Amino acid sequence: MAHDWQPDFEQLVDEHQSMVFSLAWRMTGDRGLAEEIAQDVFLELDRHLGKIESPMHALHWLRRVAMSRSADALRRRRVRGVDLWVEIEEKHGMQVVERPSPLGARLEQLLATLPEPQRAALVLRYQEDLTPEEIAATLEAPLATVKSHLQRGLKLLRAKATDHLREYIRAKEQARGV
Amino acid sequence: MDDFEEELRQAFERRPAPPSLKRKLMERRGRQRTERLRGRTVIWQRLAASLVLVAVLGGGLAAWRNREEQRKGEAAREQVLTALRITGQALDHMNAQLAARDHAQE
Repeated sequence: MAHDWQPDFEQLVDEHQSMVFSLAWRMTGDRGLAEEIAQDVFLELDRHLGKIESPMHALHWLRRVAMSRSADALRRRRVRGVDLWVEIEEKHGMQVVERPSPLGARLEQLLATLPEPQRAALVLRYQEDLTPEEIAATLEAPLATVKSHLQRGLKLLRAKATDHLREYIRAKEQARGV
Repeated sequence: MDDFEEELRQAFERRPAPPSLKRKLMERRGRQRTERLRGRTVIWQRLAASLVLVAVLGGGLAAWRNREEQRKGEAAREQVLTALRITGQALDHMNAQLAARDHAQE
């Protein structure tokens, strides 16, 4: 099918680098690896640029490939017998970026402890604001599976966050000598 | 959407990409394009060399076949001439015999 839109590679990089990088970082937890994945994703886009039909197509394509490449990277690490998250905690101390809410920063760390499918669903739901149907299309997974991952992931994250808050309050009370 | 989900949405905002990402990406893209171009040039060079080789071999084969056909033609002509010579000699011999018999009958 003929399409009038002419993709501009540099413009696509400018528009979507933050999205691709954030997805890769949240999925792998490794800033350096996320940067590499983002570069690979955009280079793949460059090779497929002729097949991209619209700005929305480019966005969906980048999301799908970023998630897929991040999953590949995690799989490669697992095959090599490296526990990525333990390694990252040791190397980078999770590289928590200054955030207005301490819970927000902690939530990112807690996200890293979730199983990969749940993490993927939650990242696409809350970072990209996608509906379960869109997440299913992006991850090429059945809708029921995605909904289940979202529910379980949210429940697990909520439980972990509650535990974290309890510990935080207890520590504060102890510090105050209550 | 409850407060927790709202908190999640805020916590999971997109992070700005490192400033070096685009620069490194464009450098890698440039390198890949150069390599691809070089690869394509090498392919074309090999293809051209192959075509020249095929043309030379084809020309040589055609010339050899031509020469071979000429040689076979010459040989066939020689054989025909020899056959004609033998036939001529046989006919001469028969004529001589017939003439000798006619002469004896007279």
